[in-house]
Amino acid sequence: MGSPENGSKKMWDELVRMVNDQFDTPQFRRLLSISFSRERAQQYSIQMAYYVKNRRDCWGYVQGAAPLDVKRLIWNHEQDELIGNKSEGKDDHITLAVKEGAVLGLGAEAFDTTPVLDGGMTCFYSWLHIAQRPWLEAIASSAILEMRNSSELIQGGSLSKRIGEIFARDLGIPLKKQINNAEHVVMDVEHAHMLYQVAQKHATTEAARKAILRGAKESLMIDRVYRGHLAEMLETLP
Amino acid sequence: MSIVNELTATLDKMVNDQFESPEFKHLLSVPLTLERGRFYVVQSALYTSNRRDCWGYVQGSAPLEVKRVIWQHESDELVNDPRANMDHYTLTVKQGEVVGLKPEDFEKAELPPMVRACFYAWHHIAIRNHWLTAYASSHMLERRNNGKIVKGGGMSYRIGKKFENELGINLKKMISLDVHVVADMDHSENISEIFHRYVKTPEDRDLVLKGAEECMAIDRAYRGALGYYMERIE
Repeated sequence: MGSPENGSKKMWDELVRMVNDQFDTPQFRRLLSISFSRERAQQYSIQMAYYVKNRRDCWGYVQGAAPLDVKRLIWNHEQDELIGNKSEGKDDHITLAVKEGAVLGLGAEAFDTTPVLDGGMTCFYSWLHIAQRPWLEAIASSAILEMRNSSELIQGGSLSKRIGEIFARDLGIPLKKQINNAEHVVMDVEHAHMLYQVAQKHATTEAARKAILRGAKESLMIDRVYRGHLAEMLETLP
Repeated sequence: MSIVNELTATLDKMVNDQFESPEFKHLLSVPLTLERGRFYVVQSALYTSNRRDCWGYVQGSAPLEVKRVIWQHESDELVNDPRANMDHYTLTVKQGEVVGLKPEDFEKAELPPMVRACFYAWHHIAIRNHWLTAYASSHMLERRNNGKIVKGGGMSYRIGKKFENELGINLKKMISLDVHVVADMDHSENISEIFHRYVKTPEDRDLVLKGAEECMAIDRAYRGALGYYMERIE
C-alpha cells in the first residue's frame, strides 16, 4: 500500500487525466465543432449565466457540509464569483456574464426573460443532488469543473479558452473583449488547485480518495450531458 | 400594518417568548461551576460550527443577492470579525483560555446525543426547505441574541452575566459572548432587511413563520439539553 502522499498524487493525476479526456467525448467534440453565429453566441452566453448561478448554489451547499478550514477556502473562492474584487475593479461573475452579453448585442433583460434550457435545468438539479452528498464527493463534483476549465491542466486549452477562441474566429470578437470568458481563463487556473489543497489534508485514506474520484467522475458525466444539450440547442439556431 | 411589519412583530414576540420557556428558564437557572462553564464554552464552539454549516446551506438555496448578503455575514463569522480581529470559532476557542480550556479540548470535544439531534434538525431545515424557511431559521437564532429586541438582553448577554455573577469572570473577558452581544444586533438587523424585499404575500410570510417556529422549537430543545447536561456535571 502506498503512502497517503503517493495516494494523493496518484488521485490528482487521475483527475487531470479525466478532465483532459472530457474534451475527447462526443458531446464536447460536438459543441466545440459548432460555428457560432451571433444568435448562437447570445443563447450560449445566456445559458452559461444560468450555469454560473447553479455553481453558486452548489458551492453554497458544499460550504455548508465541509469542515471549517475548507469552508474558509470556499468562502474565499466565492468572493471572486459572487462579489468580485472592488479594489482590483473586478465585477462578480454574473455581472461579467451580463456585460459580455452586451458585446454580443444582448440587453440585461435577456438574461432574465430567456428561460433556462430544459436539459440545463435537469443537469443543474443533478449537480445540486451531488452537492448535497458527503462533503468530499460534493467538493470534488464542484471543483472538477474548474479543473476542466484550467488551461494549466488541459492540453489544448480549457473550455472557456476554446469557446473564446471560437467567438474570436467566428464573430471577430477578440478574447480580451469577452470579459467573462477571459476572466475564467485566468481565475479557474487559480481555483483548480483548491481540490489538491483540500485532498492533501483531508483525503488521507483510500476511501476518502475514492469519494473524491466518485464525485468528480459523476460531475464530469453531468457536464458531458449538459454540453450535449447546449450543442443541440445551438444547432437548432441559425 | 404591512405584512412585513406584522411578521417582524411576530418574530420579535417569538424570540422574547423563548426566555419564558421551561427550557430557557432551566438553563439560565442552573448554577455555574468552572466545569459547567467549560462545558458551555466548548459546546458554544460546536454550536458556532453548526451555524456555519447551516448558513452555507442557506446560501446554496437563496437567490443571488441574498447569497451576497450571507457571504458578507459569513465574513465576520468564518474569516474575520473586525470587532475582534479573528473569526468567531477562533474567538470561542480563545475565550476558553479564561476558563482554563486549551485548543485540544475543543478538537476532541464530542456532541452529546441530545445536542447532536438538535444540530441535525437545524441541518434538516437548512437543506430541505424553501429558502425563506431556511433563511428564517438561521436568522432567528441571531434575532434571539439581539438585545435591542429581547427585553432583558439576548442569550449571549445573559450567559455572559451568569459567568460574571457566578464565576466572577467579567463579561469583557468572555470575548466571544461579549462580541456576540453586539455582532448579533448588526447581523440580525442586516439579515432582517431581506424580509422587506422578499415577503410580499401571505404564502411568503408563512414560509418565514414555518422556519422561525421550527427553529425556536429546536432552540428550546437545545437549551434544554445544555441545561440537562450541565446539571449532571459536579
